[in-house]
Amino acid sequence: MWNASVVAVPATESIQRPDFMPYQNNGGTVVAIGGEDYCIVSATTRLGLGFAIPTRNVCRYSILNNRVVLATAGMFADTVTLHKVIKARVKIYEEQQDKPFELRSAAQLLSNTLYYRRFFPYYTFNVLGGLDEDGQGFVYGFDAIGSGEKVKVVCNGTGQALIQPILDNQVERKQQYENKQITNLSLEEALDLVKDVFTSAGERDIYTGDAVDICIITKQRGVFVETFQLKQD
Amino acid sequence: MELHISSSATKAENFSSAQLFVDPTRHTTAPLVTGGSVVGIKCSDGVVIAADTLASYGSLARFQNFSRLMKVTDSCMLGGGGEVSDFQEIQRLLENLITKDFCFNDEHIQTPRSVHQYLGRVLYAQRSRLNPLWNSLLVGGYAASQSFLGVVDLYGTTFESEVLATGFGVLLGLPLLRKAYRPDLSINEGIKIVEDVFRVLFYRDARSINRIQVATATSAGVTISEPYSLETKWDFEGFVNPRSTYDESTW
Amino acid sequence: MASIGTGYDLSATTFSPDGRVFQVEYAQKAADSSGLTIGVCCKDGVVLAVEKILLSKMLLKESGRRVHLIDQHAILAVAGMGPDGRQLATRARQECEQYRNIFRTPMPGHLLAERIAGYVHVHSLYWHVRPFGCTVMIGTWELKQGPSLYMIDPSGSFYRYYGCAAGKGKQGAKTGLEKLDFRQLSCDDALLELAKLINAAHDESKDKPYEMEMIWIKSDTGKASLVPPYLIETVRQRAEQLAREEEMAD
Repeated sequence: MWNASVVAVPATESIQRPDFMPYQNNGGTVVAIGGEDYCIVSATTRLGLGFAIPTRNVCRYSILNNRVVLATAGMFADTVTLHKVIKARVKIYEEQQDKPFELRSAAQLLSNTLYYRRFFPYYTFNVLGGLDEDGQGFVYGFDAIGSGEKVKVVCNGTGQALIQPILDNQVERKQQYENKQITNLSLEEALDLVKDVFTSAGERDIYTGDAVDICIITKQRGVFVETFQLKQD
Repeated sequence: MELHISSSATKAENFSSAQLFVDPTRHTTAPLVTGGSVVGIKCSDGVVIAADTLASYGSLARFQNFSRLMKVTDSCMLGGGGEVSDFQEIQRLLENLITKDFCFNDEHIQTPRSVHQYLGRVLYAQRSRLNPLWNSLLVGGYAASQSFLGVVDLYGTTFESEVLATGFGVLLGLPLLRKAYRPDLSINEGIKIVEDVFRVLFYRDARSINRIQVATATSAGVTISEPYSLETKWDFEGFVNPRSTYDESTW
Repeated sequence: MASIGTGYDLSATTFSPDGRVFQVEYAQKAADSSGLTIGVCCKDGVVLAVEKILLSKMLLKESGRRVHLIDQHAILAVAGMGPDGRQLATRARQECEQYRNIFRTPMPGHLLAERIAGYVHVHSLYWHVRPFGCTVMIGTWELKQGPSLYMIDPSGSFYRYYGCAAGKGKQGAKTGLEKLDFRQLSCDDALLELAKLINAAHDESKDKPYEMEMIWIKSDTGKASLVPPYLIETVRQRAEQLAREEEMAD
């Protein structure tokens, strides 16, 4: 009596179509280093999609004000949307309060904005860098749902696994053969390091390449952006 | 044993109705009638975009004279691939947007950049509702002596470039476009390049046709050509005798 | 007006014993007391013109416009209360958009006029709404039909016209319109005729100064647009000059 129904079960289930997947990985790597009196925030410009490169020149960073910069890897449509939201909130804050948006406020805002979408996250991996209230360079690294911490150096995105250990080793002097003293990198040394790690990551990660936008934040000059070319292969 | 069977039966009976009540609206989970690649290139004095005139139903070449290009304003044009019904919905949205500006009569018109941004937000909003407009769109235009060329996809990804392509055009056309691009291209050279790209697409993309339309945006405004056929050539050695190319390439 | 004060004019929902709805008639009065509004349907398009009375010398030119673009192919002009007219314009735009969304083709003039007339009409049926204090003219242009012109009054009745007039001096304007040959008249020529009619209706010694507003759809493009200010100024000066010459001749 029940036989017909029993047979029907797997058939009914198998005609289900897969739902639309709302996420896309466009790759990209972001690195931020906080120094004594400077901060560097950098982001690659390649937009990858599977094995294709639809374009080599997108902007993954936003200058929130003259001492805070946000850079994001991950899904580009989410990146653009998130940056729009954050920039609008920063603008409203600065208009209403008539004072600059501090780095730590930006970090909290970003964390809240990401966690607000806890169950439908922005597929974005953010770093936030700038000068804190004392003029010291600091950076924050976040995951897609808003966990983050204040650190001296961070890398996010497809090149994270390639770059982060090198940064730990070179900036924080971790895992050194002979335990060396932490020496603060000068801006020039940090810049060279950033260029090196991106060049290296570009050799192994297909989503990292083309160019890297490097934002240099200092008290004297505010935010200064330079573009460093990487290989296009 | 008996218990097991009866519970399965209950599940089977409830399954279809439960499905109806959980999700009474059906979303686009796969495109049905689709357009193929759109390609575009910036020139020194304007922009060229082009699309073939095929709307496929799966592997069937269903509608062979379907225009996938649209004039949005006198300075802005749109080319669409992907789900055809969604593209027509987008055309409707744009017509309404443009008509509102028209009625305000305050000289404000949508620039190519603002049309691009608008479509980006619309498609992103729809994908965020898990009900995407299943399209890849190219927005081209020439306003304030500046060329514009941008793309939007079904996820709401937006970016601009000197050369752009969608669909198979990303794989087969973009390398050709990047190679051919110069900042000082004339419009006619641009047209020549996109024709070459569509010829290549016709040879290798099974969802394409050698009948295309080309739209240009210059200081004189937007013009969309009538559909025309591309000359094709099939007596290449590699086409006639595929084995002859085995030595040099694997495919 | 013997029936005023008998209590039948307090609500649009009550007829007077002799079969009139006073509230609607009062609304028509509001329309008739504003500046002259004229519409003509020519061989190659449709033109609407308004004598916009300037209530203050401080008014900025082109503000409080009484001619409205409804769609690429539809225009509207208001005689009577400007805000009421603007609401009808907004409604007309919505109707056109809705029609286009459903049928993917521009809304035919007779349907647009019918929808707007229906909207005006329902405002004459209920105690909790006030009838529209304006008469509107709707001009449309269609690919097969060509131009057409409709006028809708506060009762919601509407007719199609070759030429129509509303507002102060409409009688004189109608007489003038009747002398025109609409089979021959072109839009360009109509501008001067309209300017002459408005000029004739306006008494400079008695009335406040006015601004002339014109809107048209011509067959060559089929696209609605405001008549450019320099064209209006030209025909207005020409009309005034002709009037002076006529006066001299008398």
